[in-house]
Amino acid sequence: MKEILIIGNGISGMMCAIRCAESGMKVKLIAPGPSEQSQSVMAAGGINAVTERHEEGDSVQCHIEDTLKGGAYLAGSNAVSGLCSDAKEVIHYLERIGTVFSVDEHDHPLLRAFGGQTYKRTHYCGSSTGKHIVSALVMEVRRFEAAGLITRILRHHFYSALINDSRCYGALLYDEDARVLVPVYSDALVMASGGQNSLFGKTTGSSRCDGYAAGRLFMQGAALKNLEFIQFHPTTLETPQKRMLISEAVRGEGGRLFYLDGDQKVFFMEDKYGPKGNLMTRDLISREIMATGKDVFLDISFMDKKLIDSRLPEVRDICAKYSGIDISKKPIPVAPSVHYFMGGLAVHKDHATNIPGLYAVGECASIYHGANRLGGNSLLSAMYSGKVAAESISGENAGRESADFESYILSEQKKFKKMLEADSPFAAMHIRDLLAGTMREHMSIVRSADSLSKGMEDVRYYLSVADRIHYDSSVSAYTNYSLNGILTLALASLTCAEARRESRGAHYRSDYPTSLEEFRAATIITYNEGNMKVTFDRENAYED
Amino acid sequence: MKIRILRQKFPDSEPYWESFNYDGTREISVAGMMDELNFGDDIINDLGEKTDRIGWENSCLQGMCGACAMVINEIPALACETFLKNLKGDEVILRPLRKFPVIHDLIVDRSVIHETLKSTNVYIGEYNPKEKEDHEHQYTVANCLKCGLCLEVCPNYTNGKSFYGAVYANDCYLVKARNKEKSKDIRSSYAEHFGNTCSKALSCMDVCPMHIPTLSSMGKMNRR
Repeated sequence: MKEILIIGNGISGMMCAIRCAESGMKVKLIAPGPSEQSQSVMAAGGINAVTERHEEGDSVQCHIEDTLKGGAYLAGSNAVSGLCSDAKEVIHYLERIGTVFSVDEHDHPLLRAFGGQTYKRTHYCGSSTGKHIVSALVMEVRRFEAAGLITRILRHHFYSALINDSRCYGALLYDEDARVLVPVYSDALVMASGGQNSLFGKTTGSSRCDGYAAGRLFMQGAALKNLEFIQFHPTTLETPQKRMLISEAVRGEGGRLFYLDGDQKVFFMEDKYGPKGNLMTRDLISREIMATGKDVFLDISFMDKKLIDSRLPEVRDICAKYSGIDISKKPIPVAPSVHYFMGGLAVHKDHATNIPGLYAVGECASIYHGANRLGGNSLLSAMYSGKVAAESISGENAGRESADFESYILSEQKKFKKMLEADSPFAAMHIRDLLAGTMREHMSIVRSADSLSKGMEDVRYYLSVADRIHYDSSVSAYTNYSLNGILTLALASLTCAEARRESRGAHYRSDYPTSLEEFRAATIITYNEGNMKVTFDRENAYED
Repeated sequence: MKIRILRQKFPDSEPYWESFNYDGTREISVAGMMDELNFGDDIINDLGEKTDRIGWENSCLQGMCGACAMVINEIPALACETFLKNLKGDEVILRPLRKFPVIHDLIVDRSVIHETLKSTNVYIGEYNPKEKEDHEHQYTVANCLKCGLCLEVCPNYTNGKSFYGAVYANDCYLVKARNKEKSKDIRSSYAEHFGNTCSKALSCMDVCPMHIPTLSSMGKMNRR
């Protein structure tokens, strides 16, 4: 019986675990906390699919075209075609396992539309679609836990992959309770570890998605892809604990963006783009907000209070609870913030990486969204990628070869023990904070060669310091040992952004403001003994 | 403002109280305040001594994941949703949830919640409802964070050995409502591990961050 190790228990990790178990494989599902604490629960909007009940005129082909266009034609059409063609099955599966979709009087799911979609095809569960998909998948995982096919292991973190002769044989994990490194061997290692939020400090996402796993695997030989494509959400509210997302629905309901010039309100989006200026794309609005150089506000206070209560209750509650703002009386102070990472571990359409035995799914993998992601496609890709990875693992020939990791494990354990013993008053979190400052300044919405080069200089300095800092014993060992991988990933992101000397999708260069045909290819970055190499996948090597 | 925290280095070490001075804004949640205490150059207690950073769990930081559940001024609540300006007096007392084993400081082991649901087969299996009703209630119930606040406050729940609490009752209701084939078995588990013991104090409903009306789930479970 094949044994599969999955790192991360959000939607993509759980879906992969369920499909593996259905095929008779044994799964270890690893995460620091339960699935209810994964970032997946925060995905509010919905999940796209063209089903039998589609709007008149819509088709799978149209979903494919919208997705490719949204991604500025950087995603592979074979992969996107697979994603959109299977979306119907994904919805039927979720219905079958009891997901509480918002439905009409015939028990059919309701549909809504997001930006970039030609038709309404987003299925949703009120204002918490991700949470409800998680709730349904947790029950299904429980069924296979009871059958002994899935074992959840909590309070464990990824440390490194066990790679020998360019093949992956499992992972070294950090056990938070025993405070030791433990090897787990497997026929396949599946990464489902989420996005790279911590590179930027406080974002709209979970504090647990930090990109370490991608950074560490990169250092172990895994290729990364499209790291420069980071989606910023234009309207987020800063609070002392995090950046809260203010839904696009506010602008959809007529919300107006403005800044103050003395006492005068300047409606900069309407002035430049006309009456529909506030409904322009996320990228464009984010850039325009940055260009004002002023504090920007989103105003909906002119709307009838009863309408606000019925149409924007979540926004009303977030602003009241976390900032004490009554949106029926005052405008909301907003600024763009990092929201989603289109880049990550480079995978083929069967979700295998360039290292045999190593797979990646969900936001930590890069394949479907190209240079930008459409709303409603991230939950779909989380579900679909989990399924596809499980199916390709299932189809692989069984029979794990053996490899000797004794000396590697001993040497890592020795390094780890040394780190625990060495005490330093310097908090690893400080370097993370410095990194976030650098990334927010130099890897922001508008980039340039000068700025990116300063960013790289900063990160190289942090890397040199990080090597000298050993251990802050009053925070988790994970916070300490993850630093190097996170910094390396940050440097790789800046390097990719520097190499792409054009503007496309979510990547905007003030020194190269237009799209260029020669860059119509995914960015691939690899690591070899401290050196990073960027290439452009013009042959579509990752399409198959 | 004085922040008093019941701390514990390891699962088997003795708990101890430690206090901190906080002079920042009160327009901040307990989570935000702990972030401020933790990430200065050093963390200093109210005696001016350098000490260990405070251990607590978080993930979403906006009331959607339940990771930061703890007892704040004797009331079980989420740290990310409890604001200093709404707390009375000049002292905030934080302690870990008492019904679960402590792992470190304010971090507890809540795995018993998942173990009880797993061991009694609380899963839907295949969507096959008896009647299409109560959709809104099912939606609310499926929002459960599994944070454990309902168990912390419950007078009947002790350690999850036989009585499993409101979190269990609500998941049982969801299974019954969405798969009629499992109705009989799930009602029997529900009766054994919840229905026969619950004294209906209903304090669980007062502290639930998702406002789940457990009483309504109970009524529906009792209906054949």
